[in-house]
Amino acid sequence: MPLEPIIQIENLTKTYRGSDVPALNNISLTISKGEIFGLLGPNGAGKTTTLSILCGFLRKDFGVVKINGFSIEKESNEIKKIVGLVPQEIALYETLTPLENLRFFGKMYGLDNDKLRQRTDECLTLMGLDKSRNKLIKTFSGGMKRRLNLIAGILHEPKILFLDEPTVGVDVQSRNVILEHLNEINKKGTTIIYTSHYMEEAEQFCTSIAIIDSGEIIVNGNPGELIRQNEGCTSLETLYLLLTGRKLRDN
Amino acid sequence: MKRLITSIHKEFLILIRDKAGLAILFLMPVFLIFVMTLIQDNTFRELDETQINILFLDLDGDSLGVGIEQGLKSSGFFAVTTKMENAELNQESMNRLVVEGKYQIGIVVTAGATETIRNKAKSVIEQQFSDEDIGNESKHGLKESGKIIVYFDPVIKNSYKQTVMMALQNFTNNVEAKINFEYFAKEISDQLSTENKLKFNSEGGVEIEEQYATGKLTETFPNSVQHNVPAWAVFAMFFIIIPLTGNIIKERDSGSVLRLKLIPGSYLVSMMAKVSLYIVVCLIQFVLMLIVGMYILPILGTPVLSLGPHKFALVCMALAVALAAAGYGVMLGTIAGTHDQAASFGAVSVIILAALGGIWVPVFIMPGIMQTISLFSPLNWGLEGFYELFLRGGGFTDILLQIGLLVSFSIVMILIAYQYQRIKRI
Repeated sequence: MPLEPIIQIENLTKTYRGSDVPALNNISLTISKGEIFGLLGPNGAGKTTTLSILCGFLRKDFGVVKINGFSIEKESNEIKKIVGLVPQEIALYETLTPLENLRFFGKMYGLDNDKLRQRTDECLTLMGLDKSRNKLIKTFSGGMKRRLNLIAGILHEPKILFLDEPTVGVDVQSRNVILEHLNEINKKGTTIIYTSHYMEEAEQFCTSIAIIDSGEIIVNGNPGELIRQNEGCTSLETLYLLLTGRKLRDN
Repeated sequence: MKRLITSIHKEFLILIRDKAGLAILFLMPVFLIFVMTLIQDNTFRELDETQINILFLDLDGDSLGVGIEQGLKSSGFFAVTTKMENAELNQESMNRLVVEGKYQIGIVVTAGATETIRNKAKSVIEQQFSDEDIGNESKHGLKESGKIIVYFDPVIKNSYKQTVMMALQNFTNNVEAKINFEYFAKEISDQLSTENKLKFNSEGGVEIEEQYATGKLTETFPNSVQHNVPAWAVFAMFFIIIPLTGNIIKERDSGSVLRLKLIPGSYLVSMMAKVSLYIVVCLIQFVLMLIVGMYILPILGTPVLSLGPHKFALVCMALAVALAAAGYGVMLGTIAGTHDQAASFGAVSVIILAALGGIWVPVFIMPGIMQTISLFSPLNWGLEGFYELFLRGGGFTDILLQIGLLVSFSIVMILIAYQYQRIKRI
């Protein structure tokens, strides 16, 4: 039985003002409910542009995008209620404590005091930040900040979670905790769409991936199946290099 | 409402933990008011409180020299020095002392100055009562060599220079008039063969009454505090744009804005919270500056700040300035690419708007074109509103125009920011 689609993208095209080259060139994708979907590609491939359009930060030029059946243009407020975002930046207030940050974002999401307290306690404990809840974030290590960055994105228990390189620059222990927690929330029904440059991580973590380059989807499917389909590929990283080349991508 | 309170609380926590920001917001304006008011205090004080130092050398030793010395001393405008402790006072030493800046002005009444006046008076009177054409030459054969030489320190203000020259002209005219009168009276007595009983009276017949133009009943007179406290208060209130733009840009750079934009309506609420908090900050700044003007500056010898009778209008005016400043900060924080850009452009733009608005130099002494440009400075609207309340005794209806302009400015700024955000999504 085919899985129910939660994100449908058809012929999505976006060209930035002043650029001749489209950042996204007629891409089509379907992401099913409950998936952990990895959007992979070199720098400038179009990953962040795709996430920005899905989150409503950027307008598309052409194409159709639906999230949980809602149109991103006409029903953006409905979409915003069911999505969460973990940006690549540490999107927190450094001079506030974790508790103050989470209370702020939780209340902005409309969580009541009891629910907010329960979620805050639960998430801080799971992420190993319970003892640091009253310390200023600016005193935290990179790993602690990343873990808290994740909590701020999932506090309101979104149906769909967008993660833009959530494990970049963190130690192995923090990465392990983050991925374990993401697996937990996925099991509870949250669909995860994430971008990463860590191919090994994506291979283990994702149920489905798309490799995007120069604004076009090159391949899309289950990582294990994609590796098997391409002769000589032993891992997602070898597949990725085969498809995107070894040339440096600085821009 | 709940989300607005949550956002204001968050902004409050961020603000109170930023010690440098707090210093910029509260200590700098107070310091600014102190320095500027005390520096400009002399300019606004009555002249008798700030006497001009004058060296006076009377080589005439007659009516003109004595009359000028007495006139200078009795006017109260000048501190007159006629003798030096360790050196002889002559033209050469006087010139040197003024050049060295130890005295701003030196006056020499040369020998024979009074005699010159007398000869001229005598000549004119005799000419009037004689049938012969005596001509311009003095028939008494004395050379008209007496004069008054004034040495000015090149750095002295033109207004001071004019004050001294006018005073000298006045004293000289008095002596001349007296001498002319004496000769005239003597000549009449001689002609009529009677005793001279005419007495000279130098006092003018028309009284000059000094009043400040105002349509309201007010006992507030312009002084350094009445001018400087509102002027620098407006300037300081506009300086909230530095921490406000910093706050907006930091939030944007950290990515927190992305989170907020993903929560329906919360970005707008967040901006409203910033504007609300910084309006409160502005009002606290304003109250602090009023306290300085009312209670602290007078300890240092300045006049006491008088708030005028219309306190409600004063609060409204402060609120309008705060709103305009916050609106400008939101616009700048939204459009500026980096914190450095916003801080440098923000600071310079406020200084330019302040200069145009009459904070540094009164608008009325600016060239015509600059006076017209000054009408477009929001700091000028704020300053004019406060002057209306502080100096002209105006009330709420008198500042409606300024309040309207400031509120409109704020709305336009916020709309520009909103429009810029929309364009950025394309």
